[in-house]
Amino acid sequence: MIAILLEPFTYSYMVKAIWVCALVGGVCAFLSSYLMLKGWSLMGDALAHSIVPGVALAYLLALPYAIGALFAGLLAAFSMVVVKQKTNLREDAIIGLVFTCFFAIGLLLVSINPTSVNIQAIILGNILAISVYDIWQIVIISTICLIALCLKWKDLMAVFFDENHARSIGLPVNMLKILFFTLLSAACVAALQTVGACLVIAMVITPGATAYLMTDKFNCLIMIAVVLGSITSGTGAYLSYFLDVNPGGLIVTLQTLIFMGVFMFAPKYGLLKRKAAGHG
Amino acid sequence: MIAFIMEPLAHEFMLRALLMSVLIAIVCSIFSCFLVLKGWSLMGDAVSHAVLPGLALAFIVGIPLAIGAFIAGLFCALAIGYLKENSRVKEDAVMGIVFSGMFAFGLVLLTKIETDVHLLHVLFGNVLGISERDLIEAGSIAILCAIIMLIKRKDLMLYCFDSAYASVIGLPIRVLHFGLLILLALTIVSSLKAAGIILVIAMLIAPGAIGFLLTNSFDNMLMIALAASLFSCIAGTIVSFHIDVATAPLIVLIQAGLFILALFFGKSRGTAKGLQNVS
Repeated sequence: MIAILLEPFTYSYMVKAIWVCALVGGVCAFLSSYLMLKGWSLMGDALAHSIVPGVALAYLLALPYAIGALFAGLLAAFSMVVVKQKTNLREDAIIGLVFTCFFAIGLLLVSINPTSVNIQAIILGNILAISVYDIWQIVIISTICLIALCLKWKDLMAVFFDENHARSIGLPVNMLKILFFTLLSAACVAALQTVGACLVIAMVITPGATAYLMTDKFNCLIMIAVVLGSITSGTGAYLSYFLDVNPGGLIVTLQTLIFMGVFMFAPKYGLLKRKAAGHG
Repeated sequence: MIAFIMEPLAHEFMLRALLMSVLIAIVCSIFSCFLVLKGWSLMGDAVSHAVLPGLALAFIVGIPLAIGAFIAGLFCALAIGYLKENSRVKEDAVMGIVFSGMFAFGLVLLTKIETDVHLLHVLFGNVLGISERDLIEAGSIAILCAIIMLIKRKDLMLYCFDSAYASVIGLPIRVLHFGLLILLALTIVSSLKAAGIILVIAMLIAPGAIGFLLTNSFDNMLMIALAASLFSCIAGTIVSFHIDVATAPLIVLIQAGLFILALFFGKSRGTAKGLQNVS
């Protein structure tokens, strides 16, 4: 029995997949604690889709994929700002418009040159066959994100809860927002490798939202989210060995199941508790 | 020029592809006008991703894929409404959680079971591989949706533009709300085969956004959206045949080009104000 359970750990590609997933899951979960507070969830999805052409181009030109992704992400953000300034269109329409166009550019690039880019790996993740080179990029990105977040988590919290208050106590609000979105894009780039472009949004929302239903203290919320994010990601990668399914899909399915469980049974904000208290 | 257009039409699959793209151009462009006004872009995103498990389950149960996809899309919209009412998580986060969860579950199912649902075709569309049956199935859904939306356009427009006002003048808000959700799911289901679940979002936003920038009257917005969408779909299908690239992304990029033209050469920034004076 134990031998079977430990079997995945005898393969180095599984060990790599599990710890890389857990690392990325933790970083994304940290960011998710903030992102779901503000109503910016669409940004996570948009960033993940917008970087696809950058990644495709980087693979075509044999550059590090993080550079292509960063470039495409910046270009997408810039386009959104330009369209926003020039029109009265709703923000969600602008975001949707820009990210789908970028995604289409990515697909077009791939369809011109189908052999050199594995589109399935970009869209659905490729953690089981990840190269050492890509692992290094993920580790560097994650470490930088974690350090920045650990140093600035309180300032970011102030900005996300009450911008005016943050401004009045002298915090550089705009700089902190830019910092946050830079970290978010970096995390999306890392998560792209583990769960793929379509599921990055779950990694940067679900753990935070789950934790939000469990606690009122923000530092607890971050802790719960990070623990949930890394455990579900590591477990998802581990279980994918036995179930023989796409690891990204399994990770996000696990995260969603846990969210549903917490939604039902959470001590204070769960559905059952609220129904019992008469305001559900 | 004429040869350029006529040459692809000598092939039967190209004729089918062209007919299919014309049909989805019509239905998507009409819906996009409502979507852009209502601010439901994320809802379009959510419902389109959420149809994936429906396709897989429909295959297992043995019912038509379109029905499975429709039920899954509608389930996603209802689940979002329910979770939003019953938890303190914000609506956009709830949407993200629900649709990504459903997409992930669909992905797990599709990698686990043997189906004839080709994952990449579902994701990116495969308009050149449309069969006659697909065309009839998707085409009739698209025509039905388009007719309903055109007949009910004034009520839907008022609801999208200002639901409080629509309620004051006695329109059935809940019926309109769920009607619009059902139309959204049906529109997406009809466009799946041709555009795929990711690019359909572009088809559902871009034409309406182009119309929004160029006119202040809702009926004109509909006409412009329709024209832009038809042009992009026909041009995209024909050009993709000649330069041998994927069709759906090319259509989306032509739409994006039209949007950029509208952005820089349109006189108006798009005001929603004049829209109230619908004829």
